[in-house]
Amino acid sequence: MNKIRNFFEQLRSYPSAFAGLAVIVFMVCMAIYAIIAIPYNEAVRLWRGGDNVWLETPRNASPAWTNYFRKDKLPETIVLKTTEDPSLKTVVPLGGGVSVNDMVFTFDYHYDGFPSELSMFFTSTFKSARPNVSIKWITPDGREIRLTDMSIRNSESYRISQDNSVSRRVRGLAPEVGLFADPNDPSKVNKGTYKVVVEGLVFEEGSTLDGSLVVYGQVHGMAGTDHRRRDIGVALLWGTPVALSFGLLAAVGSSLTTMLLAAAAVWFGGWVDNVIRRINEIVMILPTLPILIMVGLFYSRSIWAILGVVILLGIFGSGILTYRSMFLQVKESGYIDAARAYGASSGRIILRYMIPKVIPVLIPQFVAQVPNYVFLEATLAVLGLGDPVLPTWGKLLNDAYTNGALFTGHYYWVLEPAVLLVITGLGFAMLGFALDRIFNPRLRGL
Amino acid sequence: MSNDVVLDVRDLKLHFRTRKGSVQAVDGVSFQLKRGRTLAVVGESGCGKTSLVKAIMRLLPRNIEVYSGEVYFNGVDVMKYSDEQFRKEIRWKKMAMVPQASMNSLNPVIRIADQIAEPLLLHNKDMTKEKAMERVAEVFSIVGLPLDFLQRYPFELSGGMRQRATIAMALVTNPELVVLDEPSSALDLLTQANLMNVLKRIKHEMGTTFILITHDIGTASELADEIAVMYAGEMVERCSAEYFYDDARHPYSNKLMASVPTLREDKELQFIPGQPPSLINPPTGCRFAERCHKRFKKCAEHPPVVDVGHGQRVQCWLYDEEGEVKHA
Amino acid sequence: MPKIQTATDRAVPAKRSTSGTFARIARYAFVRGGTLLITVVIGVYLAILIANGGGYVDQMRIGQVREKISLQIAGNEALRDMTMQERREYEQRLVDLEIQRLGLDQPFMVRSFRYLWNGLTLNLGSAEYMISDSGSRQVRYILGERLGPTLLLMATGQLLLFFSSVFFALFLSRRYGTVLDRIVVAMAPTSAAPAWFYGIFLILIFAALLGWLPFGGMVDAPPPQNPWLRALSVLKHMVLPVASIVISSIFYNSYYWRTFFLIYSSEDYVDMAKAKGLPSGAIERRYVLRPTLPTIVTSFALTLIGLWTGAIVLETVFGWPGIGRVTQTAINLYDTPVIVGTVVIYAYLLGLTVFLLDIVYAIVDPRVKLGGGDRRS
Repeated sequence: MNKIRNFFEQLRSYPSAFAGLAVIVFMVCMAIYAIIAIPYNEAVRLWRGGDNVWLETPRNASPAWTNYFRKDKLPETIVLKTTEDPSLKTVVPLGGGVSVNDMVFTFDYHYDGFPSELSMFFTSTFKSARPNVSIKWITPDGREIRLTDMSIRNSESYRISQDNSVSRRVRGLAPEVGLFADPNDPSKVNKGTYKVVVEGLVFEEGSTLDGSLVVYGQVHGMAGTDHRRRDIGVALLWGTPVALSFGLLAAVGSSLTTMLLAAAAVWFGGWVDNVIRRINEIVMILPTLPILIMVGLFYSRSIWAILGVVILLGIFGSGILTYRSMFLQVKESGYIDAARAYGASSGRIILRYMIPKVIPVLIPQFVAQVPNYVFLEATLAVLGLGDPVLPTWGKLLNDAYTNGALFTGHYYWVLEPAVLLVITGLGFAMLGFALDRIFNPRLRGL
Repeated sequence: MSNDVVLDVRDLKLHFRTRKGSVQAVDGVSFQLKRGRTLAVVGESGCGKTSLVKAIMRLLPRNIEVYSGEVYFNGVDVMKYSDEQFRKEIRWKKMAMVPQASMNSLNPVIRIADQIAEPLLLHNKDMTKEKAMERVAEVFSIVGLPLDFLQRYPFELSGGMRQRATIAMALVTNPELVVLDEPSSALDLLTQANLMNVLKRIKHEMGTTFILITHDIGTASELADEIAVMYAGEMVERCSAEYFYDDARHPYSNKLMASVPTLREDKELQFIPGQPPSLINPPTGCRFAERCHKRFKKCAEHPPVVDVGHGQRVQCWLYDEEGEVKHA
Repeated sequence: MPKIQTATDRAVPAKRSTSGTFARIARYAFVRGGTLLITVVIGVYLAILIANGGGYVDQMRIGQVREKISLQIAGNEALRDMTMQERREYEQRLVDLEIQRLGLDQPFMVRSFRYLWNGLTLNLGSAEYMISDSGSRQVRYILGERLGPTLLLMATGQLLLFFSSVFFALFLSRRYGTVLDRIVVAMAPTSAAPAWFYGIFLILIFAALLGWLPFGGMVDAPPPQNPWLRALSVLKHMVLPVASIVISSIFYNSYYWRTFFLIYSSEDYVDMAKAKGLPSGAIERRYVLRPTLPTIVTSFALTLIGLWTGAIVLETVFGWPGIGRVTQTAINLYDTPVIVGTVVIYAYLLGLTVFLLDIVYAIVDPRVKLGGGDRRS
């Protein structure tokens, strides 16, 4: 008990240790929150995307809070749905199965920037006759611009931004700009209340018609979106438990095994020791990353497989020599001979005498190794060999890089995972360093 | 001050700062040493002997707190020298040392001859490499090392040989004062005896002044002209060797002598109970009082140093200028 | 009392013959070289085992054989008259013969050794999709041509890193406890991030935002004709990647070695040097730096190994045309022969690096120079 209290007292003299510990605790909390808020299957589903998962998010949007730093406020996405708000729709039966389904979407637009896209989505049920809609756009200053007339299948997407005829009607500007532009100065947004009027007709008894309007903003959420409209925040959040568990498991796995092997080498001496030293030399020369690349390409990219190989390669890595020299010191000391004299078994000696001596060195080593593994996983992902289904930070960096984020100015895409990587790495590294200075007697006071 | 006095130390203090407090390793030590004489400083472990050496040689650690006093070398107070001046004029030219456990005192990656020649080439602008090597060979012979060891590395020498090499290194510039810190404590008896012979020879032939730090009074007796006893950072007694063995005054000195076996007498060995006080917060009165078998009421005050004649100085309430004091 | 013998009585023996030292170092180099070669062999063999575990290398080879034979057949006028069926049978027969000749139908172990031999002699086969700059399909050339730029970048970065770290560490050890010292100690953990990571940030700042330095590549496009201007252009493109290499490790290395120096400057012989009156510069060089040099060299080996493997992503990030970039392209194209070839080259590179460092160690540590004592404890 005293030792633990002593330890914490010493820890207090190293503020970096506290900072590191705080970061780690924060990360762990975030990881737990991620797993609870978005269970694994949900996360995989969200990240795989697909047709309708990210329908209502803009592409490549900056984070919403960047608006605080902008003079010209960029728009956020506005979504209006009749399925959620039935008051938007009025149904008037005309007799003979025909009824009028009119929808009016009203919204206020006060942003300085134009939307990135405009779309409408319709769903309908019918037996054989498709419903019809006629869509009009009404600006705050009362101008009416006809959008389109179309018939609706079971599910229909109308991408206003890609409609050239609308573009022609707004003087050749892109629809999402032209429909919102000030008629006197097309570079400025016409602020006010907009209406989109849909005059719909269904021709059969029991047919239904629903619609929604999506005005895609340029900013979205805490972290922005990527090229597939996915909210980057999901990957940031879910990347946390992935990074943490990979780093911790790899570090613990390899440190513990390395230590045990070193103990065995020293204890049994002779050829065991020799063999282990030779293996260590070989493994040091094995180029880790290229081998991992080979494994990833030829066998499996699953993160568990990679973890296994990493631990395997790490077992005989450089740590083993350090532990070995420590164990050697312990072995040559008097009390080990004394223990043998009273008949202690090898196992007992190793467990009770040698290992406790090494634990103070083990702990800082293993803590300081965690960032290496976290970055290793990120490196593999950046190269394109990351786990195919999981959203990880490295994956984000890879996506950003392949889509030229640095060139197109989408810096947030690169910075957000990078910052998280750095913070995690720094947290563990700071704690590890402080622990090293506490536990290593030669470093005390330095 | 007569020209004979090579070293005159007055009220030298050296305190270190540690986590637990301020260690008062050397706390007001004063003594004089005449040219050509050997002073043996004896005392228990931790009484401040090595710190005294460090203080005289100005080899200060990082956590120094107090370093004061006056050190007159040939009449000049070198405490007032700047570090650079001290380095150029005193170090090795005037004062050299042979540290404790010289096993590690030699640079492992430089050849012995080069290391020994270093101070020669450093302090003497017109010294050439050839002349320096000649001198190195000279000192090698003085300490009795075979010349083919000149070009070797320290790890190729045995402990005793390394010790001798360090002594050779100390003599190479012919300094006036050589301080040896426990020169033989890490060596076996035969080598010790050898070493003492070498030192005796150097003393006779080169007239070097020595300060010999040791906890071994027996070997000290071979070489020493004067003996100083240190206890808890203070120099509690100082007298010439001939008087010390029969006429030591301080109770501590007496006890020390009583604990050393002699060859021809049948002596019941005594020991001193207890432990020396911690140097962090030394007692305000006489520091030996707690363990002294002769203590009395006045010992609660710090005793002054008293000159009891024929060069003998004692720091004890039992004595004043005339001799032993009768107390109630 | 024996007379002191003066130096003129006995001749001062000359320094130990330098040829003797050379012979010893040569012998040491030979032994270490041999050990490392064996290590490389085993490493490459392991790599081949891993690569061929799923039979990929076999497939690769058979695929190459088939392709070669079909080309042969297609170009052979005499076979024009054969029917489709006959031609296919003929092709299959030739393929089988070839497979037999190359020993591809032999048991796994034997095959592996063949591949091992091929790998060691750098007979790395032909790529599936990639072509070298000079138009060859041979993996050996694809990789070989790009080896130069990688070496240029890595060697510059590593040497710069080593020397700046050592001198910075020495500098810091003299200023223990000052603000600068504490800052560096606090910043040591920043070396947790690999070089490519810093590369991204550097690009962001200096290329994207400030536009002072190029985004990547090795020379301006089109490259200047004048060789001096060309060299300058390469230099300009080298600034950011080399800076990434240096930044990614300098704080940790400086901290680690400065701590080392601090510990070693409390050694007894350093005190002696001070007592002898040596100026602090000389003490630092001869009594602190020189004795610790062997350990520093060994610890640098680890950093180097990390840098070599990190080169893959670094070159990708900076578009530097070296082996790392080739590897990345090979990954994207799934070009198996090139990837296996990369592993072999890397094994050689790492082996060579360790070998060179061991030689430096031998030169610097007299205990090794003279063949005495076990340097590895």
